[in-house]
Amino acid sequence: MNGTVPPVSADLATTSSVGHGSTAAVMRGAHWGPLRREITKLLFQRRSYVIWAGAALVPFIIALAIELNHGGPHGGEGPQFFSRVFSNGIYVAPGALTVLLPILLPMAAAMVAGYMLAGEAELGTLRIILLRPVARGSIVLTKWFAAMLYLFVGLVLMVASGLLFGGLFFGLHPMVLLSGTTVGVWHALGIIALACLYGLAAMACIVSLALLFSALTDSSLTALIASIVVYIVIGVVIQFSYFDWLKPWVFPTYLEDYLSFFRDPIYWKPILKGLEAFAAWSAVLTTAAWLLFRRKDVLS
Amino acid sequence: MPKDVAASPAGEPQPVSRPGDRQPAPSGCAGGAPILTTHGLSKRFGDLLAVDHLDMEVCRGDVFGFLGPNGAGKTTVIRLVLGLIHPTAGYAEVCSHRVPGELQEALRHVGGFVDDPTFYPLMSARRNLRLFGSMTGPISEERIEEVLEIVDLLDRADDRVGGFSHGMKQRLGIAQALLHSPELIVLDEPTSGLDPRGMKDVRELIRSLGEAGTTVFLSSHLLHEVEQVCTRAVIINKGRVVVQGTVAELRPKSLAVKVMTGDQRKAAETLRGLFGSVREDDGYLIVEVGEEATAEMVRRLVADGLDVRAVVPAHEQGLEDFFLELTKEDESGPARPKRRSGLGRVLPVRRS
Repeated sequence: MNGTVPPVSADLATTSSVGHGSTAAVMRGAHWGPLRREITKLLFQRRSYVIWAGAALVPFIIALAIELNHGGPHGGEGPQFFSRVFSNGIYVAPGALTVLLPILLPMAAAMVAGYMLAGEAELGTLRIILLRPVARGSIVLTKWFAAMLYLFVGLVLMVASGLLFGGLFFGLHPMVLLSGTTVGVWHALGIIALACLYGLAAMACIVSLALLFSALTDSSLTALIASIVVYIVIGVVIQFSYFDWLKPWVFPTYLEDYLSFFRDPIYWKPILKGLEAFAAWSAVLTTAAWLLFRRKDVLS
Repeated sequence: MPKDVAASPAGEPQPVSRPGDRQPAPSGCAGGAPILTTHGLSKRFGDLLAVDHLDMEVCRGDVFGFLGPNGAGKTTVIRLVLGLIHPTAGYAEVCSHRVPGELQEALRHVGGFVDDPTFYPLMSARRNLRLFGSMTGPISEERIEEVLEIVDLLDRADDRVGGFSHGMKQRLGIAQALLHSPELIVLDEPTSGLDPRGMKDVRELIRSLGEAGTTVFLSSHLLHEVEQVCTRAVIINKGRVVVQGTVAELRPKSLAVKVMTGDQRKAAETLRGLFGSVREDDGYLIVEVGEEATAEMVRRLVADGLDVRAVVPAHEQGLEDFFLELTKEDESGPARPKRRSGLGRVLPVRRS
């Protein structure tokens, strides 16, 4: 270390009671918001880009596959909207949402939220963070919002990619809704946006679940796997009629209700019921994560 | 059971704070209120009582050494004091704020790290500091450069931390601790993994911080480091305070010297008359004397017509010896380890 210590030490002595050295200096760094910090951290993780790349790639693959196949799956089979893509590129984005919502998005949500606390504990940065005067509760909440923002960007990329490649391959035309009504391109874009936001709301449950596991364990992989296992187990259980009584209470039941946006008029009842379920699950799980993390002994 | 310093066989220990059975009385801070105190601080992990009603006191302006053998509970105490873990009983007071109750207020005045400092590997040193620093409050780019300069990392400010050596990360850890010019800096083995030059630099930095009025709480397994750098220290074992006081007080005052004269038999008689017992080793006479008594001894030998050829320290009784004396009673392992010298004078590196 160099010989400049004494002058700086003198500075330390004079500013020690203030606790903020060089406060008179121009604050070029400014005050970073907690959310901005979390987003910065996400931007400095390679895995973040892998998921985003996946979200952007899926619509391209759908468009390319249908173009090369000269049409969607035969006989109206295959994922929702796929059979209509060949005649109208605007269906690529909702088609991609149909594919991503049950698999990639929950994986992304579990990954990003599972890493939020457990990953920081693994890396060792959690103890540095907790030596700063930041309430643990606000850390949990900020991380929840950061994970949601991350997923939102993923959905935006998916829609943008869907519109780009759908438009390039097949052109963007007025959309025929599931109820048979035809709406203009801008109206269709609004519906797609609402459907994506509904999907994002569903992912809030996975984010909260993963955050809870992330608070419980110091292994981000464990948090990711535990979240996905719970999600899959619930999904499997509600397939059986014996567990019909359970269906109204678990969030995966409402996952596909985004399709109600593609009806005219929009069928709000299942949507609102779904949003209620998502809100309740998210609130309970995030509160549990917050309570656990508040009392957690950080030994990592 | 904590060993009473007064009963220590290691020379003539001065009356440091009284190490009572469970709660040694704080020694009191001459310069005003202490900056850090613990009150009956306890932490239990299952059946293990890692910290047992620990009472200690760090005075404002101290460079305070925190010593203990492996498993003594040092890191656990630091985690308790900094609110990383919750006490089973008791509490700490940091900068007049009770922890864990007023943790956020306390942490505004504290900087430091526990265990190895870690950072986001894909971010640069500068960005890491900006990110961590912003959690305490606004931080200027000038201040970031200032602390990077202090730890000699300014030329690597924009390099990714992932490519840094362990020593560089240690230095960056110190830089982030200094960012907001805290009143209290807690450093957990800051010289761990550093090369001799790096160790020396960090110690100089700690000394300069102390001279500038910043209180430094230094956990270290390097006893000579504490001797060199600290003004006061506490030794803990099995989660309890064994002894605390100034380093000068902790260091026993006895000094063994080896004496070589022209007539060793006659010299032995003289020395026996002076000090009672004289040992012989390799032709030398060995006596336990105080620093002031050495001069008197030489004068008497010369006065008796003896040709004094050499008076050399036989065995420097340092903090390490004292530490081992204090803690060996509780050790169930092998007897006192063989004395080492120089850089080898370290305890095993594992953390408590």
